[in-house]
Amino acid sequence: MTGPATIEGYLDQLLVALGGRARGVRRVLAEAEAHLEDAAAEGEAAGLTRAEAERQAVERFGPPRDVARRFGRAGALADRRLVAEVMSAAVALTVVGLLAIGASGLVAWGMRATLGDRFVAGDGPGVTYTAARCRDFREYHPEAPTCAAAASAHHADEVSSYRVAAGILGALVAAGAWVWHRRRRRRAPAPALGVLPDGLTAAVAATLFGVVGAGLAVQGLGILVSAGTHAGAGQWLSAAIVSLAVAGAYGVSLLRTLAARTTLA
Amino acid sequence: MTRQQSAGQLDLLLLSVLAGTPRHGYAVIEALRDRSEGAFDLAEGTVYPALRRLEDTGLVASRWTEVDGRRRRVYRISGAGAAALAARREEWTALVRGVDAVLAWAP
Repeated sequence: MTGPATIEGYLDQLLVALGGRARGVRRVLAEAEAHLEDAAAEGEAAGLTRAEAERQAVERFGPPRDVARRFGRAGALADRRLVAEVMSAAVALTVVGLLAIGASGLVAWGMRATLGDRFVAGDGPGVTYTAARCRDFREYHPEAPTCAAAASAHHADEVSSYRVAAGILGALVAAGAWVWHRRRRRRAPAPALGVLPDGLTAAVAATLFGVVGAGLAVQGLGILVSAGTHAGAGQWLSAAIVSLAVAGAYGVSLLRTLAARTTLA
Repeated sequence: MTRQQSAGQLDLLLLSVLAGTPRHGYAVIEALRDRSEGAFDLAEGTVYPALRRLEDTGLVASRWTEVDGRRRRVYRISGAGAAALAARREEWTALVRGVDAVLAWAP
């Protein structure tokens, strides 16, 4: 025999051969260990030495790579499960993205209340409007003293309301996904061996939100530095703050996952 | 019975062994061995992926339980599993009856 001759050696090779999420791998190893210990005890009871009993137990269990490969297939459904997990992660990221947009609308609303409409949606130097367009703005905001002030107030309305609407859409999608998920789980329990590695979604999300947040921050700060506090930097900065906060939350989640894996190793 | 033959009917055998009696993996294999009077020569490690596949499709459920001082994953058949067992048992009975009928004509 060329494979492992001891239970410990067998479990080491099985661990190397298995893929998937830590929880699923741990379960496979725990079940295999319990089985091999039972089989070895049975062998000893039949008169074998401990070493012979362990060797017989691991031989009867089958080569670690074969067992691991069968677990890979055991989601006969492995491909379908991969698609389902990717779709699920994509929906989750979409929901978080929409909710983040909604939150940025609230931050923009707060900036507007404290720093003024022009901080959030003021126009840059040189922007002018036709008389007809000014009339439109003044219809929305008759209290505004100037056309530019009415335009800023109107654009600030749009920044806040459209983003909050996106957030509400995100909440509705989340509720729909939750109901669908519950019904699906009632029909069939959640698979124990996940396909996507732990922390992958958090890594993707942290990168995505981090890059987008950094870009938004650069844009907002650029306007702030070059054109001052009345040129609409707030609409970029409000989004940057939320995006970077979400990236930070996903980053913490990722670090916790990595720390757990380090502890396991 | 060869490994290939018994593996082909593994789902039916596992559901049958679990019907009415929740068992952990080792007990499932012992029951298969005892009931078949040693006819089934399965690599024991193949039973666990099969149990997992049945669990993923909702035909069995499992949970960790302390048995004889050791933590074990105990499997039980679900309602859907019981229905699938009844259906597959019928298919198998019909198949055996048909094969027997054909073989009866052999010289």
